[in-house]
Amino acid sequence: MEKIVTAIMPGLCARVVVSEGDKVAKGQEVAVINCMKTEISVNSEYDGIVKSVVSKEWDELQVGDPMVLLTVDNNG
Amino acid sequence: MLKVINGGIETLVEDWPGRLGYLSKGMSASGAMDNVSLGLANILVGNKPGEAGIEITGGFFEAEFTEDHVIAVSGTDMQPKLNDISIPLFESIQVNSGDKIQFSHIGKVGFRSYLAVAGGIDVPVYLGSKSTCVFGSYGGFEGRVLKAGDEVKIGEFSVDSDKVVGNKIKPDVVPEYQNEIVLRAMPGPNTSPDYVTEEGMELLFSRTSKIQHTSNRSAYRMEELPDSFYARSDGGVGGSHPSNIVDHAYAIRGTLNICGNTPILLIADGPTLGGYICPIHVINADLWKVGQGAPGRDYFKFELVTQEEAVSARHTQNDILSDRSLL
Repeated sequence: MEKIVTAIMPGLCARVVVSEGDKVAKGQEVAVINCMKTEISVNSEYDGIVKSVVSKEWDELQVGDPMVLLTVDNNG
Repeated sequence: MLKVINGGIETLVEDWPGRLGYLSKGMSASGAMDNVSLGLANILVGNKPGEAGIEITGGFFEAEFTEDHVIAVSGTDMQPKLNDISIPLFESIQVNSGDKIQFSHIGKVGFRSYLAVAGGIDVPVYLGSKSTCVFGSYGGFEGRVLKAGDEVKIGEFSVDSDKVVGNKIKPDVVPEYQNEIVLRAMPGPNTSPDYVTEEGMELLFSRTSKIQHTSNRSAYRMEELPDSFYARSDGGVGGSHPSNIVDHAYAIRGTLNICGNTPILLIADGPTLGGYICPIHVINADLWKVGQGAPGRDYFKFELVTQEEAVSARHTQNDILSDRSLL
């Protein structure tokens, strides 16, 4: 099944630190948001494989906007 | 004691009115970004409205209470839960030793939540305030944001808990948060005709401007103004740009500083002096609205008011921050 890692704050996408095909663990940083002149980590809530990277650098984000799409197993 | 499990995006100990009297030493007042929400939370638990509480910006704060306490949560709705069960905002509740409080992300409106605990937050008073100046690294809890593992002391509370548990704020007093935030402001000190054109001032008081993602507790930045805003072609002895001026003290909190063409609202942890013009000043009674503006999402609009209206608004706010707001 698919799960989406979403933006947790409004701001700019500073970078996505995973690539398609990467294995990620729950709690692992997958992206960074720039807001309030600081960098805020966006962590995966799931174990999974990166299916696609949705956000790119300088994208304006709102809370809930998709950043990374994961494939997780049914227990993920 | 409050044992921090997750410090969240930016969680600080703040009181109100903050650290007053040290602008000449280069120290800003700091203090709660939304003093109304902090004040109402404190009133709910029987504290003085300006007592130190926990300011949660952006969300994701989690902590465990190691003793029984009476608490209240106010401000924007970050879906607060106690032991995974939702708790109401603007209402005082009993918590017991071992209970865990958890905040999620911000919603569609508002940016900051406040957690007040009966007895207040017991951090050292530094230069007259418990507030954190996060950019100066002083005050509050070790001069910094809270992080996992921190143990925050709670002050002594002399009132019987039963007398404050279940307190609620009157519905008509509970603040309403909006995406387009109207800030009442007065002109000055660097305004038209000397520094800004009449048209420039009209633009400032008529346009709606997005809060830039670079905004924080020091300053809230807005969209650039056009060159036609300025009455001068340069800053004279102050510098080459018409926003330049010979360095002067900034009337923080609330002055609108224009740096280059960017309007920058100087607030809690803002700079105390500098060399840019300040054409308007947001009234004290509306500073709380700034604290609920989310960078990258919300908008500011300035509304011209008189000094008399500003004083009246402050009296009204003082009236709200009292037991009279309890249901």
